[in-house]
Amino acid sequence: MNPPSPIAITGMGAISAIGEDVAANFRSLVQSRHGIGPITLLDTYHRDKLMVGEINITNTELYDRLAIPRHEAYTRSTLLAMAAAREAMAMAGIDTNDDYRTGLISATTVGGMDATERYYDDYLAAETNRHFIPTHPCGYGTEQMARYLGVNGFITTISTACSSAANAIMLGARMIRAGLLDRAIVGGTDCLSRFTINGFNSLMIYSPTHCRPFDENRDGLNLGEAAAYLVLEAPDLAARQSKKPLAYLTGYGNANDAFHQTASSDNGEGAFLAMKTALELAALKPSDIDYINAHGTATPNNDLTEGHALLRVFESPDALPPFSSTKAFTGHTLAAAGAIEAIFSVLALQHQVVFANLNCSQPIASLGIRPQTRLETKQINHVLSNSLGFGGNSSALLFSKADD
Amino acid sequence: MSELTQELKAKIITQLNLEDLTVDDLDDNTPLFGDGLGLDSIDALELIVMLDKGYGIKLADPKEGRKVFETIQTMADYIEANRK
Amino acid sequence: MIRPIYIHGSGCVSIQPTFESGYHFETLRAYAQNTVPAFDPDYKTYIPPMQLRRMNKSMRMAIFAARSALQEAGKDTADAVIAGTGLGCLHDSERFVETLLAEEGQSLNPTPFIQSTHNMAAAAIALSLGCKGYNMTYVANANSFESALLDAQIYLAEHPEQAVLVGGVDELGVRTVQFWDIAGYLKHDTPAIPTPLGAMPSPGEIAGEGASFFVASHQPGHEALGKVTAVETYFDATDASVFISHFLQRHNLDASAIDAVLLGYNGDDRYDQAYATVEHTLLAGIPQIGFKHVLGEYDTVMASALFLALRLFKRQDIPQSLLLNGTQPRSLQRILIYTQRRGKNHGLILVEKK
Repeated sequence: MNPPSPIAITGMGAISAIGEDVAANFRSLVQSRHGIGPITLLDTYHRDKLMVGEINITNTELYDRLAIPRHEAYTRSTLLAMAAAREAMAMAGIDTNDDYRTGLISATTVGGMDATERYYDDYLAAETNRHFIPTHPCGYGTEQMARYLGVNGFITTISTACSSAANAIMLGARMIRAGLLDRAIVGGTDCLSRFTINGFNSLMIYSPTHCRPFDENRDGLNLGEAAAYLVLEAPDLAARQSKKPLAYLTGYGNANDAFHQTASSDNGEGAFLAMKTALELAALKPSDIDYINAHGTATPNNDLTEGHALLRVFESPDALPPFSSTKAFTGHTLAAAGAIEAIFSVLALQHQVVFANLNCSQPIASLGIRPQTRLETKQINHVLSNSLGFGGNSSALLFSKADD
Repeated sequence: MSELTQELKAKIITQLNLEDLTVDDLDDNTPLFGDGLGLDSIDALELIVMLDKGYGIKLADPKEGRKVFETIQTMADYIEANRK
Repeated sequence: MIRPIYIHGSGCVSIQPTFESGYHFETLRAYAQNTVPAFDPDYKTYIPPMQLRRMNKSMRMAIFAARSALQEAGKDTADAVIAGTGLGCLHDSERFVETLLAEEGQSLNPTPFIQSTHNMAAAAIALSLGCKGYNMTYVANANSFESALLDAQIYLAEHPEQAVLVGGVDELGVRTVQFWDIAGYLKHDTPAIPTPLGAMPSPGEIAGEGASFFVASHQPGHEALGKVTAVETYFDATDASVFISHFLQRHNLDASAIDAVLLGYNGDDRYDQAYATVEHTLLAGIPQIGFKHVLGEYDTVMASALFLALRLFKRQDIPQSLLLNGTQPRSLQRILIYTQRRGKNHGLILVEKK
């Protein structure tokens, strides 16, 4: 079987707790420098109690960096998204005024909730902040992004919990393959909010300390905030403009666990199906995969069931390539996670390096698998990246090295 | 003791929206999870909130809940032994 | 070009009795209020009590509409579920915000948080059907359903042997309605469903809620209700007649080839002009059908407009209360649906009988 032509990745932009651009994120990854610490910007009861991956830039600073007038209403997720998407477009060198059809597909779960929770009572009482009312829906920020970035073509927003950005990336690739777009700016964004911090805390899966993905004694996640976007282009378009892709997106898959609203099935059925679909689409065998950027949230349920799914795909612990969760660096960035980890996957291919899974000292006994705990240089041709969410939403993306 | 079990039944019905059930439908010894009443892990979290708000008992680890919430009776026993 | 997809079953919960079998919009429920909650079916028909007890309105309406669509299509399940929702599970979102504002630091009930997640309706359908296939949720304001429908077209082009459930759902909130009111979205002057259009112009929309789902595949089958030929969206557009005429050109159609057009008039005199422009120019002389004046306004009302279009194909008769302008066409074979909300999120769906 001939796989469909790969999708070229020509630009990337990222802002997270470990860096304000892609280069800074990479430096932190190779120096094993995490971004998890106490809450400093968000006004919440949990300020001195829970650890987060916070981006140490205020909204006002973001307004200024993006040259947005102070009186306009942009919520934090959108501000972060515009910063990251701008970097991605600059790296790709695309001009939205040329004749190519450019789409914007963004993912978010928080949307404008940070403003809504802040002004929930204030809106009723005073006029001052009412211009933020329209910012609540998840789709609103994408529309603001489109205007800011000058994207006049197709735009949409995806919200499928923690797999959102992976699904946005997948839709961009599918639309290019279907001939509906020439290129797509794809990714996701989520800022920290009281809503999500309290939400995960109420589920009793928020770690009181640093999260420990794939560790026997893991006790939950740390939330983080991030925005990450990639520019996808039809391969012939990239070639015509003599652009050398950073890497290729060669496979993707989405499936539903159809087991429970929040918990994954014991054998990780959804994750298994998603990985299998991605491999089949790319016409690759499990043994072709050189590194897996796992979802690895460090909740008891996720890491165990994802581990089972990995073992089902790769068949034995010995056949499992090096894998790591980078969430101990960034925190779980929800709708941005699939995109920031897509960028980490591309960085792994570009620099031929496997990133460390921090804080794992005792692997999960029942699985018999051990994540990569130290940075390692090795030959990497194909990287698999998992994103798994509430509602059983499971996605896998497969990235392949660009020719030298 | 039976006063407490009756109270728990009423609270569980309200908190978990078991609107088709009445207090009389619930037996003290019916398993709440699995093949019994059929509650799930989200219900277990709701019951943990109920223990805290109603009886001042905090369960730090959701895994502890499995034993505590086996039946109405085990819940009642646990509350009697631990309430403040 | 993406190929048409055939619709084999449809289900709709709305502020009208659309869930009743064979409902044809002839008897309408009237309301004199703003907002208008859905006219509920008996959700227990399709949802076991242990599942229903925790489900919010979006999940209930979505499962009911999806199950109704499957039943009409004579199927037990589908291979994929693709949904659109402008605001997701709004009521649970409000509940969790209110709880955390009042009680942050204490034990918070987790259920509203879980169920505030935007993909919960599509997930609930998958869970209810045991459908492990592709599952997607679009949250593109008033173009959410159009995004889902476009994805269904792409998905079926990739998987020509499969069948998908595609639809849209939106529910009303409580506090959010107050916010909409402050923002000037809502109609104050004698709100009424059916909304009188044209007679006494006034600003504001009447907010409703609902869910519509469809079973779609690439196979025409014997009893397809119709086929969706094209769907397009324009987030920001100034002149509807320009993009509609380009749309028709791209599909090699002359305006006269359209038998009827569904227009999203909602009685908000600030934005209804968009429809009036095309009604009097590009689409002049073509029968005009309204739907928001009987269904209310919400982000995914476009899905219910598609439901209506398919019903019109079946009956070949436009109820008088929906016919805004023009006369009954001799035959209804091709319908164009055009909607926008507050001057943004323009959407077009071209649907044909055969």
